Amino acid sequence: MEKLFGLPLNDLMIALIIVFGIGVLVMSVLALRNRVVFRMGARNVPRRRAQTMLIVMGLMLATLLFSASFATGDTVTNSIRMDALTNLGRVDMSVQSETTDSTGRRARFDEDTFITVQLALAGVPEVDGVAPLLTAQAPVLNPATLLSDPVVNVLGMNPFHMEGFDDLVDADGNALPLSNLGPGEVLISAATAEETGATTGSEVSTFFGAQPTQLTVAGVYESGGNPAGPNSMVLPLAMLQELTGAEGQVTSVIISNAGGPLEGADHTDTVTAAIEPALQGTDLEVRPLKQDALNEADAVGSSFATIFLVFAQFSIATGILLIFLIFVMLAAERKRELGIARAIGMQRGHVVRLFAFEGALYALIAAAVGSVLGVAVGWGMVSIMAVAFQELEFELAYTFNWRTLVIAYTLGMAVTFIVVLISSWRVSRLNIVRAVRDIPEPRSGGRRNLRGLILAVLLPVLGAFLAFVGLQEEQAGLYMLGTSLVIIGVPLLLLRFGLNERLAYTIAGVALVAWWLTPADVMEPITGEMQQGIELFFLSGIMIVLGGVWAVMYNSDLLLKAIILVFGRVRGLTPVLKIAVSHPMQNRFRTGVTVAMFSLVVFTLMVMAFIIHAIAGVFEDTERLSGGFDVSGSASYLNPIEDIRAALQKPDGVSLEDFVAIAALSNNPVNLVQDGTGNEPVDFVIRGVDAGYTEAVTYGFVTMAEEYTSDEEVWQALHNEPDTVVVANYLVPSRTDFDFGDVPPEFQLEGFFRSDPLPEVHVVAQDPLSGTERRLRVIGVTEELAFYGAPVMASQATVDSFVDSPMPPLSFMFRTVPGVDAEAAAQALETRFLANGMQTAVLEEEIRSNAATSLMLNNLLQGFMALGLVVGIAALGVIAARSVVERRQQIGMMRALGFQKGMVQLSFLIESSFIALVGIGLGIALGAGLAPQIVNEISREVEGARLIVPWTNIILVVVVAYGAALLTTFLPARQASRIYPAEALRYE
Amino acid sequence: MTATATSKNKPTESPDGPSPAGEGPIIQAIQVQKIYETGDLRVPALRGVDLAINRGEMVSIMGPSGCGKTTLLNVLSGLDDISDGQVIIDSATVNTMSDRRRTRYRAEKMGFVFQAFNLLPVLSTVENVELPLLVAGVKMGEARRRALEALELVGLDGHAVKRPAELSGGQQQRVTIARALVNRPAIVWADEPTGSLDSETSRDIMDLLCRFNKEHRQTFVIVTHDPGVARRGDRLVMMRDGLIESDEPNHSES
Repeated sequence: MEKLFGLPLNDLMIALIIVFGIGVLVMSVLALRNRVVFRMGARNVPRRRAQTMLIVMGLMLATLLFSASFATGDTVTNSIRMDALTNLGRVDMSVQSETTDSTGRRARFDEDTFITVQLALAGVPEVDGVAPLLTAQAPVLNPATLLSDPVVNVLGMNPFHMEGFDDLVDADGNALPLSNLGPGEVLISAATAEETGATTGSEVSTFFGAQPTQLTVAGVYESGGNPAGPNSMVLPLAMLQELTGAEGQVTSVIISNAGGPLEGADHTDTVTAAIEPALQGTDLEVRPLKQDALNEADAVGSSFATIFLVFAQFSIATGILLIFLIFVMLAAERKRELGIARAIGMQRGHVVRLFAFEGALYALIAAAVGSVLGVAVGWGMVSIMAVAFQELEFELAYTFNWRTLVIAYTLGMAVTFIVVLISSWRVSRLNIVRAVRDIPEPRSGGRRNLRGLILAVLLPVLGAFLAFVGLQEEQAGLYMLGTSLVIIGVPLLLLRFGLNERLAYTIAGVALVAWWLTPADVMEPITGEMQQGIELFFLSGIMIVLGGVWAVMYNSDLLLKAIILVFGRVRGLTPVLKIAVSHPMQNRFRTGVTVAMFSLVVFTLMVMAFIIHAIAGVFEDTERLSGGFDVSGSASYLNPIEDIRAALQKPDGVSLEDFVAIAALSNNPVNLVQDGTGNEPVDFVIRGVDAGYTEAVTYGFVTMAEEYTSDEEVWQALHNEPDTVVVANYLVPSRTDFDFGDVPPEFQLEGFFRSDPLPEVHVVAQDPLSGTERRLRVIGVTEELAFYGAPVMASQATVDSFVDSPMPPLSFMFRTVPGVDAEAAAQALETRFLANGMQTAVLEEEIRSNAATSLMLNNLLQGFMALGLVVGIAALGVIAARSVVERRQQIGMMRALGFQKGMVQLSFLIESSFIALVGIGLGIALGAGLAPQIVNEISREVEGARLIVPWTNIILVVVVAYGAALLTTFLPARQASRIYPAEALRYE
Repeated sequence: MTATATSKNKPTESPDGPSPAGEGPIIQAIQVQKIYETGDLRVPALRGVDLAINRGEMVSIMGPSGCGKTTLLNVLSGLDDISDGQVIIDSATVNTMSDRRRTRYRAEKMGFVFQAFNLLPVLSTVENVELPLLVAGVKMGEARRRALEALELVGLDGHAVKRPAELSGGQQQRVTIARALVNRPAIVWADEPTGSLDSETSRDIMDLLCRFNKEHRQTFVIVTHDPGVARRGDRLVMMRDGLIESDEPNHSES
């Protein structure tokens, strides 16, 4: 990864190291100048080991999440880089034509250009190899085994110019020089050898046209056939030129820069600058292949890290709450000693420093533990991802970069320490007498009231302003934030004018929940459709949970009564229950914060589970996702199938009668621009579809031109009405745009959203070869699930009308007759059209496999989000440990009154259970409350998405979260039960 | 020793009230020793105490700080173990009981009043008072009724729903007394019951304890520093250095 949230990692790391260094320096100087205070703070760390462990566990969570997110990003980046490096080898750049030929590939150019480039780079020390290259794709058949490889990248290399590039090396490490090849001899890659069953000496048939060419395999290489994928063939340039009828022509001039395969990319700019003058006036361009591949790897890696970080933000937020809670509780525990310290002359600043020293030590340990554990968690996540990616034939190799480890550590440390400083400041504001005598703090005083009043006035005013701006800008996030602030602010303002506290918070809480749970359909007539991003999800979680916690905590007495009413009848349980439930209700702040932690994480897990279940149902409808087809196929451009129906007339393993529908599709390169926008045209591809496609396809449209009333009508119009196109939904902006740093499509329509009625929109397509332009009307936007559609589709007739040399159909879609096995048909098609390089896929299988991969990644994301539950569980542990100390005397009294050890233990366990279950229950209820709205929103674009209650997830969350909470509280509860009554009562 | 052995398996009495007077001592301490051990340090708190208290008696225990008064109260009530000797309460040897049985025994036979009140701050006044009843398995409605009666007896019938923090020290101690007596225990242990109160409130509290002692013939053992409080008992036991220095009937007027 090179960037995070758009910031270069190097800069981020340097900035964080500087902040960290300054922090350490300041703390060290303060420690030297306040040795006693530092010693007091430091000695508190090992004072209660179990508690310290819990604190470290709580504090490390944020760092762990940073570290694990970075690890996944690094791994994805590195794996894509490795993949790119394997395919490119030492090829760093290439000179290629800017234009495409009639096959849609980069046009060939004169081989002499190689000399021009070579001369331009002569004496450039950053270059260590220049070579001409001709490439083609052809199917290869081994007649001896009848095995074939339908798509083999064939590389024609000049044996005398390959110095500076990778040698072709066989499995034993022996070089396979091209110059040793005799006439008709080729080298093939290990992957192609395996696919075709060919070995050295095998005769293979290669189809560079309709007729096969017999070639002899002179060797099998493990590496060195660059730039190409794993399935490749290498032969002398002159031989390939002859075989493909491209005498004197090449497709590119490849350049190897000095340095290793990775470092070569560093010289991209220098080498580009050296070549460009020589290419002026030609239609050739320099392509930084290696640099592009590395950039793409970085972008995808960053995108992965961002996804995990975005979904971890709830957990990070709860982690921050926990840090705050821990320090507030530590302060409560040490209230008396702090009061005494203040009484004997310690300044308020000393108290801040005392806690800051202690907190800094915890943060140092926690950030270290968190970043290292994050690496381990990241490894676990990558292991799961690796299984998912295996389906996509992409290998993930776990990587963790020291730089991101430093960033995770310093970032975690910084976040923790800032929260520690804020909590320390709060702690220092204790009243000496109240602290020494352990008297509870009174409610806000006069000065605070004035400040509170100003805040209470400002909050709704600011809220109203934000809501207004949000409405004007059609930004749902801003609008909802503003309205929420008004909802929070108004009752708080009324509180200042005498409204009952319970009523104020209940009104604010209930109103907040109700407001966020109001369906969009109800609001839209007033607000209109608004744009929303991922921030809305985060905001909704915070606001709904805040509202829910207020409503519950300020009405907890009702809850208590209900619990006693239900369970109080159980003999012997009543006194335990009363005490267990009364304590959390009494300590509203710490209970509220802990309940909020649980709720927030469970809420996000629930919403995610509902979304995944809603969409998973759609994935099961493979018929719909495949557009009504069963098999897809593609043929080689070197030997296209001109008329597949005619070809299938004659039965040969497979015939026309096996299929209900056959669609032939062509991909045509054009320059495309939206009419009237004044934008620069971009290189794009229009897919030409025949009647076989438009008659059979079942994809729907999210929006269509007003004269059409059904999907079928649009498809019919596409075929019958000239100069019409349909576009994919991702070419039209959406109001709900969850940006994770994905690369946007090169071409996007403007002026409307995909959920709007389709206005009159035209695109202008230009044939790059002839320059002929055509204004095409957009008549429909295909649904999100049109997986096998294309970005822009027009009838083949429309394409033919303005493209001088239209592409032959190279893609095909088949719908089989009921009773015909799709897999058998697919195999039969490959065999039947072997010479055409036919490669097929069974769509149902492919969709299920993709769905499984996506489900696995979604589950991983959920698992990652669930790490936040650890925060809540740690909070419970801290509270329980603190309660044991705090209630020592009360426990003694309870024991004196006849509470058995088990009853004391049970009361602690019930207390934790109560907090955990209220939090979990609230999270589930709020998540389930919001889910219909979100699913409804999804179903607007993904037809068929429906609300399914994720029972398994609910049960899993309850069992795991509650079980872990009980386990964490078990030790403090046992400790409480073992308190000796006489000793406990002796404490004053 | 034989008495101990025979009384060991004797079923505990009903918590409805003390047995009739005149059946011998309800509390018996025989050569009770208590040694606190902290690492290598051994601190003898009780060094062979013999004491017998009859049913219905109100006994005051006095002595200088560190003489072992509270320790004696703790070991006699079963809140603490003894190092040697024997503690017999109502014919049952407490020091050999399991923790579980001893706890149940306390719940059924004993009530406690402490200097620090030790009310549970999260419970209301009436909830604090009804707690021993609920522990003893009394039904919720019945427990509430009896708790309210107990509060009425101590003059706090208007304060049932208040939290301890909303009451004065004297009122809190009255709640503690109500809680100690609500179960009608045979014995009430009071450790410095007036230690945190002013003299007038102390007098009120002692009046209350004496009234219950007279009306219900419950046994009261009161540890105190205050000679005024000590004089209110039937007997005055003086302690010094972990031993009973004197044990005499109290002839002063209550």
